[in-house]
Amino acid sequence: MNENTQFKGSHNLHDAANAALFVAAFLGMWQIIFMLGIWPKISLPSPILVAENFAKIIWNGSLPQSIGITLARLIGAFTISATLGILIGFTMIKFKGFGKTLNSFSAGLLSFPSIAWVPFSILLIGFNEFGIMFVVIMSSIFSIMISTYSSIRNIPPIYLDAARNMGARGFLLFRYVTIPAATPSLIIGLRQAWSFAWHAIIGAEILMSIVGLGHILSVGREFLDMSQVIASMITIFAIGLLVDRLLLYKLEDKVRRKWGLDLHR
Amino acid sequence: MPIVDRGLSLLTKLQAKNIVKHFDHNGKTVVALDGINLNVEEGDFICIVGPSGCGKSTFLNVVAGLEKPNSGEILLNGKLISTPGPDRIMVFQEGALFPWLKVIDNVEFGLKIAGIPKEERRELSHRYLDMMQLTKFADSYIYQLSTGMKQRVAIARALAMDPEVLLMDEPFAALDSQTRDLLLVELQLIWERTKKTIIFVTHNISESVILGNKVAIFKNRPAKIKKEIVIDYRRPRLAEDENLQKYYHQIVEELKSEVMPHAKDDTQ
Repeated sequence: MNENTQFKGSHNLHDAANAALFVAAFLGMWQIIFMLGIWPKISLPSPILVAENFAKIIWNGSLPQSIGITLARLIGAFTISATLGILIGFTMIKFKGFGKTLNSFSAGLLSFPSIAWVPFSILLIGFNEFGIMFVVIMSSIFSIMISTYSSIRNIPPIYLDAARNMGARGFLLFRYVTIPAATPSLIIGLRQAWSFAWHAIIGAEILMSIVGLGHILSVGREFLDMSQVIASMITIFAIGLLVDRLLLYKLEDKVRRKWGLDLHR
Repeated sequence: MPIVDRGLSLLTKLQAKNIVKHFDHNGKTVVALDGINLNVEEGDFICIVGPSGCGKSTFLNVVAGLEKPNSGEILLNGKLISTPGPDRIMVFQEGALFPWLKVIDNVEFGLKIAGIPKEERRELSHRYLDMMQLTKFADSYIYQLSTGMKQRVAIARALAMDPEVLLMDEPFAALDSQTRDLLLVELQLIWERTKKTIIFVTHNISESVILGNKVAIFKNRPAKIKKEIVIDYRRPRLAEDENLQKYYHQIVEELKSEVMPHAKDDTQ
């Protein structure tokens, strides 16, 4: 056990060193391109200028506020989307014809661009919180429905046979076998849906909002302030990465370990 | 010591009456079971042996209630049954343990479904984990166990349910021979200790001879029971016991006439 954790620790250190090296190389290249002067300063600011802008928008409170608003909208919309999506997924299992039909629409619904919901949402609901949340929900719910449906359908029949053999049926079968057996693949589906929702909220905020991360990004464009655009982009990237690594990936990893799915090197 | 004498009329535990089952296979009807009749008496250890694909596992699934027969009936203690139930617990070939539960929670699964209180569950699960020498692994997850240990857990889980009939579907097929030999002896000891009625399906003839006090030989296409033989021999029987050879050869002879014609079919 001890050996194992030691190994894991050195592994993490190694990963961190690699990541640091990668970021340093990226910043270095950026600085070199900046110094070559191919683009005017206003189109491509230096890393230092972007850092200064970062400090400015953190200091004046606009960045923290934008992050807060965007995350609040996203979490609200994603919670609705996940709850409804999972419930509809269960319904698709329960009513086979309905499930089959909806599943065959999946390709179109899954690849439908989130931005394409914006005009519809503006006309239907308007330029408000609900309009933005609607776009986020519509962009992620199908992925959740489909992955709930397929996670349950892909449960090895032997688990259900064994459980029914031991007298489980109806709700007990669902609660103690169907749900846990579908969990690993359900988490992968949620992770994917989260990334769809994240795409959608930034898009919707650029077009529909007067606050939020997408908004400060488009304000940057309007005032020809490239350093603000880049600072917002880095923020968006960082939040996406942190949420995925610290929350969703951790959750998936934990389940995979418990199931023994993570044993291949 | 003779445990079961065919002349004595003992209590019939489970009765299969004229079970017929067919499957649709690419539009063609395949007859898996063509009128199976079997009487299992209280305390029987009956082995069903036959070639691959002869329908013996299908028969076990019908007994378990996991598959519905096209006709015929299964009676347990004289009562008609048609759905799965904890009175007939199956040990599957691959164990069919739940990877999201610890060993102990796997053993307690059926008890939990039956609504047995936690303390009682713990006591029962510890008793059977102990019997299967798994106490040390109670808090392990399934992937941490060897194949042999998984089958021990599956057996502990089945015994904890205290079923009327224990159904075993080639439970030792995936094991290495040392582990299998060990479990063959343990299963006989458990049977003698618990007096369980067991139906054990296998394609391995020596396994059937070691375990069964009766062996039902399944014949192929159409699937019927060709013959039942009684093996009245002391226990625990060991794999290397030469006195079992005559039973072994008797079954081989019966099966030879089954396998051969089809072997010819295949080469044509």
